[in-house]
Amino acid sequence: MTKIIRLAALSAIAAAAMMLTGCASLTMSPPKPTIENTAKLRAAELAPVNVGSFKIDAAKAKDDASVSMRGANGLAAPGGSFAQYLGDSLKAELQSAGLLDPASQTVITGTLTQSELNAGMGTADGKLGARFVVTRGAAVRFDRELTVNSEWESSFMAAVAVPLAANNYEGLYRKLITKLIDDASFRAAIGK
Amino acid sequence: MTDSNRRSSILRAFLVPAVLAASLLTTGCATGLYVDTATKEVPVAELKKPVQPKPTNVVFEFQTKGAPNATATKHLQDGVVSYVAQTGLFAPPAAVGSSMLNITINNIPLTDDAASKGFVTGLTFGLAGSAVTDGYVCTVSYLPAGQGVAIVKTARHAVHATIGNASPPPGAGKPLEAAVAYNTMAREVVSNALRDLALDPAFN
Repeated sequence: MTKIIRLAALSAIAAAAMMLTGCASLTMSPPKPTIENTAKLRAAELAPVNVGSFKIDAAKAKDDASVSMRGANGLAAPGGSFAQYLGDSLKAELQSAGLLDPASQTVITGTLTQSELNAGMGTADGKLGARFVVTRGAAVRFDRELTVNSEWESSFMAAVAVPLAANNYEGLYRKLITKLIDDASFRAAIGK
Repeated sequence: MTDSNRRSSILRAFLVPAVLAASLLTTGCATGLYVDTATKEVPVAELKKPVQPKPTNVVFEFQTKGAPNATATKHLQDGVVSYVAQTGLFAPPAAVGSSMLNITINNIPLTDDAASKGFVTGLTFGLAGSAVTDGYVCTVSYLPAGQGVAIVKTARHAVHATIGNASPPPGAGKPLEAAVAYNTMAREVVSNALRDLALDPAFN
């Protein structure tokens, strides 16, 4: 009987640990193009562009390497920089559409201005924002900050909630790039 | 990595099995995975081949409720890309901006409140067994070079899981190791979607 009680106590402790932490270190997928964005870019009659530097806002430099999920869990970008990951995500989409040209005079640069992930119990949410600038020679043709956010159901168990938070946070990068591509002013700025 | 750790890692990569992993860690009760038998693999020899394999950039992604799942993608990517190469439908891309084949497998839980079920099973040491089913929707989108409209085909599959003292549902195949179960599901569902793509006159 004592053994059963001890086992029950141990399982309760383990369950509580599972609920509260999960202790994982995750890395996002390498950036990859999407068929939706590739199709949009191909259909938009755009000129090839170069992608310049993508940096994080200086005031948020500590947030560039990883984002915390329920304390003990961290999510990182493959190259160690979320800002660079955003730039690489844009490059992947442009390259797939045949629109990436390092020699182009039209250059897209970016600053990651918001990167938030709340993997709480019940409802979790994430927010991503960046300022994109398109220059051609000395002329600024586009300068706009865009933001996206997501909400999703979040389990009380960290073993379920943490991977789901990581998935949804990664999805924000694609969502932000899609919002940029859908921006009529952006498309006009890199138009032929 | 030990076999046990590898299995746990694979289970954690997928939505409902993550619940099962929690159950296992809590009590050590047995888990069974069963690939549904309704969707069967289409043999490569039965795929309608184009005159020439199409130079194509292949992109694969596993998603959980529509969001990219990096860990599960990593587990399945080599198997899916290898299968696509075996089909004879596609060739390596000739140039940047060539055709694109996007394959996604989206994991959608079909069993309501699977998390609670798994957790209760764990806390009762497997006596109150439970069975849950995950659905998978495979979407293959082929965008020909220089074109802006993709050909899209979908196929569906399911993986059943039992925790503790529960029987697999009707339609479940034999119990499989996690890696084998998910790779089998991926290969079978992708083969069905590619069969439909290959039959589409717009593809040929």
